[in-house]
Amino acid sequence: MTALSTDTPTKPTHSPAELREKQDRRRAMGLLTPGLLWMSLFMVLPMCMVVYVSFWTQTTFAVESTLTTASWERFLSSSTYLSAIGTTLRVWAIVLVATVVVGYPVALFIGLFVRNKTFQTALLVACVIPFWTSFLIRVIAWRPMLGTEGAINVILMKLGIISEPLTFLLFSEFSVLVGMTQIYCVFMVGPITFMLGRIDPSVIEAARDLGASFGTIFRRIILPLSLPGVMVGSIFVSVMVLGEFATAASLSGRKVNLLGNIIVSQVGSLKWAFAAVAGVVLTIIITAVIALALRIVDLRKEM
Amino acid sequence: MQSRILRPTLAIYTAAFLLFLYGPMIVLAILSFQSSDGGPQFPIRDWSIYWYQHLLGLTETSRVSQLPVGDSLLRSILLAFMTTVVSTILGVMSAEAFRTKFKGSGPAFYLIILGMMVPGVLVGLGMALLSNTLGIGRAWWGTSFVLHVVYTYPFAFLVMLAIFNRFDRSVEEASLSLGVSPAQTFRRVTFPIIFPGVLSAMLFSFTLSYDEFSRTLFTIGSQLTLPLAIYGTFSVEIYPNIFAFGVLTTLFSFTLLVIYGLLMKRFTAKAARFKGQEEN
Repeated sequence: MTALSTDTPTKPTHSPAELREKQDRRRAMGLLTPGLLWMSLFMVLPMCMVVYVSFWTQTTFAVESTLTTASWERFLSSSTYLSAIGTTLRVWAIVLVATVVVGYPVALFIGLFVRNKTFQTALLVACVIPFWTSFLIRVIAWRPMLGTEGAINVILMKLGIISEPLTFLLFSEFSVLVGMTQIYCVFMVGPITFMLGRIDPSVIEAARDLGASFGTIFRRIILPLSLPGVMVGSIFVSVMVLGEFATAASLSGRKVNLLGNIIVSQVGSLKWAFAAVAGVVLTIIITAVIALALRIVDLRKEM
Repeated sequence: MQSRILRPTLAIYTAAFLLFLYGPMIVLAILSFQSSDGGPQFPIRDWSIYWYQHLLGLTETSRVSQLPVGDSLLRSILLAFMTTVVSTILGVMSAEAFRTKFKGSGPAFYLIILGMMVPGVLVGLGMALLSNTLGIGRAWWGTSFVLHVVYTYPFAFLVMLAIFNRFDRSVEEASLSLGVSPAQTFRRVTFPIIFPGVLSAMLFSFTLSYDEFSRTLFTIGSQLTLPLAIYGTFSVEIYPNIFAFGVLTTLFSFTLLVIYGLLMKRFTAKAARFKGQEEN
């Protein structure tokens, strides 16, 4: 509409189209301001505060705004904190791989092998429904499942596969990994299914007519085309797993300390500056991971 | 294609995956009917609804202290309601703004989206530090509330953006050029079209806020919300009353989902009827 009216020869400065565009832009800015203001005040400012406070001086029960790098030095020289970084990265990597390995075949089935649209939607909904229960309840639900008198041990003993209950199932790194994989897997299944659903079936059919085996079709067509979905899912899962602490707190019996757990325990003992240092480290890790993911796949090009 | 083997294998795998997703909740639901002398594990001594009664405060004195659900439930619902209202309004406004092209729309978009990506512990910590420094008291209706909006507003925004993308602008322009005031146009033309999106945005905001926990942890002060009250019981021993609580909150969420479905269905039925009239 506006494009048409700019063709009419009017004075270049005050054409109605231009006026309207200006007015529209002002309206857009007006509509956007409250939201951007909210985000700047309540998200950006707090994050800057974390960075700032990480250089404050920590006394026994308080922080003073005298700048120092003491907290950083203590953090980087403490084996507890450094091993927390290691644990966080390890748990993140394992859960990420686990969600891809567990989720990909499911996405393959829903996205490519189910032709009936209603059934496809029903399966996706079935994957999402667990999200309607409380996050903490889903975490705690693993306790009666994995405990020494839990469902899995009871079933395995009844079947005579084991004679003693397996103790490594609960209150170990294993339970944290299983819990996180179950909770975050759907964030992997969703994006991959979406990308697989967009593959033109005739492409696969053409490949099959030309004599390609399923292995070849998968390697040459399906996998490359689904990769952006894997990347989007990885970003979701990474961000959530790296910032995690509740699963570790309730399923590991304090054996697994992620950076998130460090932050929680430091805040609990009023060591604000150390908590802030851990927060900055966590931010750096998350930013690096996302930057890496975006480097591997150019999302704007693929989506 | 070897889909004769592959398809059934994948189907069985998907079924196993669903069992993996639902298994813990099923076990939890079964164990919530444990008898009063039973623990949070198998075997079930006797089937009973004791822990449900315990949860609702209907039992005699017990060795297990009652879950602090009453007040915290009310607070959580109120907080979720406030969050829903504010984030839906912000979401609709920003998505409406993005219908016009303007400079800096890219950074603005990412600034909003960042709200759902930033880990809750980090913004929570930042907010707690900020409130400490500025001497603002921490409370669920203040520091927690603003963080809940930071979290849910991007979701509302994305939902509304998807709706506006499929929305023919000429309908609005027709109304405006017929001399209807912008306010009236929004109420009579725009709003009915975007209503399904608004409903979805509200549903998202409400459930995310109702269940939100990591952002709330450091910013809540002394009056707890429901997820925090539950989290507090984690550190000590757990009892089947948590399981009973889990079953009840799940039912509550499903009720919300059903209400949403009914509203949506009713609305689409109404819209279809209007369409039918026009075609006559």
